[in-house]
Amino acid sequence: MSDSQSSLPAANPWLTLQIDHAFAPFRLQVQLALHAPWTVLFGPSGSGKTTILRALAGLFSPDVGSLQLQGETIFARAANKPCAINLSPQARRIGLVTQTPALFPHYTAAENIAFALRGFSSAERNKKIQALLQIFGAESLRDRLPHQLSGGQQQRIALARTLAAAPRLLLLDEPFSAMDRAARLEILNNLRQWVQQRAVPVLMVTHDLAEAFTASEEVVVLEDGRAVAQGRAEIVLRKARAQLLQELGVTPNAAHSPER
Amino acid sequence: MDIAALLLTLRLATVTMLVLVLLALPLAYWLAHTRWRGKIFIEAFVALPIVLPPTVIGFYLLVMLGPQTAFGRVVTHLLGHPLAFSFSGLVVGSVIYSLPFAVQPMVAGFAAIDPALLEAAAVLGSGRWDTLRRVVLPLSRGSILAAAVLTFAHTVGEFGVVLMIGGNLPGVTRTLSIALYDQVQDFSYAQANRTAWLLLVVSFAALTLLYTQRRTRRLV
Repeated sequence: MSDSQSSLPAANPWLTLQIDHAFAPFRLQVQLALHAPWTVLFGPSGSGKTTILRALAGLFSPDVGSLQLQGETIFARAANKPCAINLSPQARRIGLVTQTPALFPHYTAAENIAFALRGFSSAERNKKIQALLQIFGAESLRDRLPHQLSGGQQQRIALARTLAAAPRLLLLDEPFSAMDRAARLEILNNLRQWVQQRAVPVLMVTHDLAEAFTASEEVVVLEDGRAVAQGRAEIVLRKARAQLLQELGVTPNAAHSPER
Repeated sequence: MDIAALLLTLRLATVTMLVLVLLALPLAYWLAHTRWRGKIFIEAFVALPIVLPPTVIGFYLLVMLGPQTAFGRVVTHLLGHPLAFSFSGLVVGSVIYSLPFAVQPMVAGFAAIDPALLEAAAVLGSGRWDTLRRVVLPLSRGSILAAAVLTFAHTVGEFGVVLMIGGNLPGVTRTLSIALYDQVQDFSYAQANRTAWLLLVVSFAALTLLYTQRRTRRLV
């Protein structure tokens, strides 16, 4: 952790994570403590971002590791031992929105959202579905089947479906990749409101620099299976930003001058 | 026309189909998802009736279910009559004979379900049975229907197993295919013609249903 920042709250982390897993020839070896309510995992493809989210959601058991969410151990495994603790994905109550939205193809958008809404009267359920569709600007998609939706529309429904399950942690794996920038910003704003109202922390994977800047309070940079930096975006992504600006043909001075 | 043989054939095919669908569902689901290496032996065993002469299956069943073996004696004692040469005996034989026709389409159907959907269901809090009911079964409906139609049609067309373990008792074990064989042996070609035609129509109707269903599924 070369760039740890002191501006972070000193309270207990909502997540502590330690994972060590060998996928020959690649090795994922990460240790993190997350405090910021919205953290971005930033890094190139193959750096282990998605694997971390899958381990948190309970879809993947690393060789060695320990995961604590809000003080509760949801996974614990010592080297060469079976898992001491390994809560099922159902028991973890963690929401995961994957990169390719895995909507149930035989259910409409509304039915997909209703999948996790159990134990409600149908009036309540409809109200909740309506509210969730509204957050993602998808009211008109209510009765469509997934194959009648574009990639971006499917991502909106997948987000709504995940919120319907009332998760205590939200994991987002490039959930806006098929949306244009305007839609992305609007949805990001609405989503931020939703998680703030309910105090649900977010861990989001992206390799989009602009998204990492706009979305996060804190960024963790992953490279080759290791966390190489953690801190505010302006600081830990400074190098990546300068590189991008150079590729765009903008010199640092020009980028700061308001006339340009 | 041999109405008794027709009714018996339809009854046998229906019972076999129902038993096989219930039996094959868990077996196919397990085969589609297990990582156990020994499953290849189970798969090979399930597929055996496709390549073995039906008489071989009939022979083993006859011996196993007869009074010569302890198993056969227990079954006879429990039922009060030997399983061989009875309708229940025919059902047992037909179930084994048509097993691959039920299991294989279902395995293909279950394996075709995107694992990401099962993971999504789990993360959304849906347990194993709930996911089976709300995701797996609806998405493999077509394969289950295919398995049902194929086992029905295959049982209608069965001859060797029935002859070996059922013999030829009118109204009890004399199915259409056995009746046809008898009629030809008796040189009753007009009767045989009607029986053959009936078998052809039943089988053709079943397969037409199967392909109609496949076509509508593809159009969705």
